[in-house]
Amino acid sequence: MELAIGLILAGCAIGAGLALIAGIGPGIGEGNAVAKACEAIGRQPESAGAVRTTMFIGCAIAETTGLYGFVVGLLLIFYAPKAFINLFIETIGKIG
Amino acid sequence: MQTLDIISINIWNILISLVNLLIIFLILKKLLFKPVKKVLDQRQGQVGKLYDDAKTAKELAEKEKEQYDEKLAMAHDEAVEIVSAAKERAERMGDEIVDEANRKATGMIKRADEEIAQQRKKAMNEIKEDISNISVDIAEKVIEREIDERDHKELIDKFINEIGEDDE
Amino acid sequence: MRLNQKTKHKIVDGLLICMMILPLAAAIVIKVLTQPYSEGMNITGALIFLEIPMPFQPLLITEAQINSWLVMISITGLCLFLTHGIKAVPDSKRQHIAEMIVEKVDSMVRENMGEMFMGFSPFVAAIMALSAFSSLLTLIGVFPPTSDLNIIAGWAILVFILITYYKLKGGLWNYIKGFGDPIFVMAPMNVISEIATPLSMTFRHFGNVISGVVISALLGSALSGITAKLPGLLGQIPFLKIGIPAVLSLYFDIFSGCMQAFIFASLTMIYISTGFPGEAYEKRMKRKIERAKKKEEAKRLAELEK
Repeated sequence: MELAIGLILAGCAIGAGLALIAGIGPGIGEGNAVAKACEAIGRQPESAGAVRTTMFIGCAIAETTGLYGFVVGLLLIFYAPKAFINLFIETIGKIG
Repeated sequence: MQTLDIISINIWNILISLVNLLIIFLILKKLLFKPVKKVLDQRQGQVGKLYDDAKTAKELAEKEKEQYDEKLAMAHDEAVEIVSAAKERAERMGDEIVDEANRKATGMIKRADEEIAQQRKKAMNEIKEDISNISVDIAEKVIEREIDERDHKELIDKFINEIGEDDE
Repeated sequence: MRLNQKTKHKIVDGLLICMMILPLAAAIVIKVLTQPYSEGMNITGALIFLEIPMPFQPLLITEAQINSWLVMISITGLCLFLTHGIKAVPDSKRQHIAEMIVEKVDSMVRENMGEMFMGFSPFVAAIMALSAFSSLLTLIGVFPPTSDLNIIAGWAILVFILITYYKLKGGLWNYIKGFGDPIFVMAPMNVISEIATPLSMTFRHFGNVISGVVISALLGSALSGITAKLPGLLGQIPFLKIGIPAVLSLYFDIFSGCMQAFIFASLTMIYISTGFPGEAYEKRMKRKIERAKKKEEAKRLAELEK
């Protein structure tokens, strides 16, 4: 019983950690976006304002995928253990 | 006190927040956008009115300027006319004056001539008398004869008159 | 007692400023009164003050709801304050601010959505104001309503309803046809992407705010943990907590909060204006006008026959 609960908790923690790997993608993407924006501003300094706004919006949208990972991680840490343990106990009770 | 889970979904809360956003939308529309838009429109109207006023004022000024220009041109013409008229009149007057002076001068010369003639006549007459008197005296002395003075005088007068007639 | 115009004006100003500030003070008071004692790290959702039984789910009056109402009152006060004593010839700074806000939002809507959607500018301003003010509540140490999923989900669902409404303006058949866009096999994918719009909007905003909250909480507990390990009197006072979290709060609360408000608003504008089928709508309107004309003509003919 304890072992099973421990396994569930461990699984949730490992899952949360893995979910945060999703942060790599947006990191690379946003880095690329900012680099290109810097190039664009260097080439055309007069359009710096427009480039900056567009870059911010693009970055924020690119960040979404990372945030999905983050939300899943939050779910796995704060919500999933309780729910899974409850589910586990219910099923055990039914079988028992 | 209980707390919600960090990720939890409640339909009623979602509905409440949806209505909240709508209420805020209405509040912003009624309390911020409407008065500001109204004021901006008002200002637009005022500025437009000002521009219109300025335009009409400019038009008026231009019209007046045109009028003044016209008047100025007219005044110039008038002045030229006046000057030319004055010149003409002055010339005419000068001519008149000269004419009159000429006339006067000729009149004066004529009169002077007449006077001279009169004076001469007068002088002639005096001389005649003098001569007659003198000749009577001379004759008395020369002849030394007692003649009837009346006859004598008649003779002499006749003689002098003949002289005078010859003279003339 | 008779008051002259100036004092009256000033009194109303004072009341409006109170209307702006008092809700925030009330939020702090509520927070202080209701905060449960806790040790160490606690990352939880909003406190539940009241539970009203309703169908499907109980209606919960939570900290997030209360705070968002307080924010709304504050925004109303701000609006009233900015437009109080507004004149055609501006003589106060606040009128300039009010005009600047209105003109900025108007120009943004005009750029992103076009002249037809100018009625949306108060809505965009409302989203920005509500989102930014709610996120900035963390600055005074109060639970920010935007870190509650339900609040943002409500906004996103409203935006989704608007998107769908404007898509339906091109006709129902046009809307349905749009799902089988390249080929009809893609229909399920298109449905999923349609549903993903409000979901991604919700989670983007929520994730940004909650990440800030979580990292602030982690940092706070870490700093208090470090100070507790220090010897003597130093360990009694969590002095490390004084300045350091402010740096993070600068990014997570101010920058991220305002940025997310702006992004939520601009995404709303972009989704609505790109989802709107302009050509189909024009065609439909033309057809409608033609139909109306035909009807009128038929009516006239009928009258003539009579």
